Amino acid sequence: MALINIAAREIHCKIVYYGPGLSGKTTNLKYIHSQVPKEAKGELLSIATETERTLFFDFLPLDLGRVRGFQTRFHLYTVPGQVLYERTRVAVLNGADGVVFVADSQRNKLEENVRSLQELARNITRQGKRFADFPVVLQYNKRDLPNALPVAVLDRYLRYRTGDGNLVERFEAVATTGKGVFDTLKAISKLVISKL
Amino acid sequence: MESQLSSLIVSLEEKEAIDECLRRLVEDTGATHAMLLDKSGQVIASYGQVERQDTTALGALLAGTFASSREVARLLRERDFRVLFQQGVRENIFTALVEEQWMLAIVFDKGTHIGLVKVLTKKATEELEAILERVRQEGKLRDEVISTSFRTSMEDTIDLLFRD
Repeated sequence: MALINIAAREIHCKIVYYGPGLSGKTTNLKYIHSQVPKEAKGELLSIATETERTLFFDFLPLDLGRVRGFQTRFHLYTVPGQVLYERTRVAVLNGADGVVFVADSQRNKLEENVRSLQELARNITRQGKRFADFPVVLQYNKRDLPNALPVAVLDRYLRYRTGDGNLVERFEAVATTGKGVFDTLKAISKLVISKL
Repeated sequence: MESQLSSLIVSLEEKEAIDECLRRLVEDTGATHAMLLDKSGQVIASYGQVERQDTTALGALLAGTFASSREVARLLRERDFRVLFQQGVRENIFTALVEEQWMLAIVFDKGTHIGLVKVLTKKATEELEAILERVRQEGKLRDEVISTSFRTSMEDTIDLLFRD
């Protein structure tokens, strides 16, 4: 739930990057952190294991500056993708205004993608929200890998219709080089703003 | 079931009431800092003798800790944990739920007794619950802030800032 603080003239929104393990959620945040101007970003905070796998979440606060007098902030989070951490994902998802679902395009990851998206839908529903109406953008990551499935196949299994009858937006990406990362971020930010 | 509202709007009047509540809590307990957080990790208000630079990250982490403990409660078939206490060598943090929506976190050192913090935090959360109830009624203010021109300006800012 977005927070509008009229006294402090601030608007806060929470966006969560969700998806199976090693699909590139943290890589998205690292790329955004490396490119956004210094005055618009805070520290990238990671709670990770010794092997750099996300244990709890990554957190990146972005400050869009004043928009019509309101200081606007987006807080980006990632969840730990490994199956083991489902309850942790529920905790991070708490109070989210929008989700980027980062899918791994590789052929051998299709089942994990499908399961993870189903789990996301279940967790949003448990928060008392209609999943079809909840702001979600899909990102098909790792498009550069030789075993990446065609987009049409990923669409068939992952792309769903939203409450207004349109297909959910999706973007192709190579998060390691930054391709598609900002297109995804722009799309989810605008979607969240449209639902405020 | 959680509220279906898409945004929570804190008016000037309610913000002043929250600030006053935090100020009194800090002064009466001798704590160093108090913060009111939304369950999404956003800092609604903060009061302290020393202005902290790291409140944003602190808010995200404390809310994460609380959300995680809620899942622990569920696994233990406990209804929920209403409070959390983190004990350090120099400083301690006591965090209490304000209904299911907000959290009140208070940071204090050895000079403050935990018993006093518990009692006064309980009183403060009751006051904050009343304020939260009023905030939930403020939905009508939304249209004054989120106009069509506001959304357009926001989209322009997003295009300008979010690029390689």
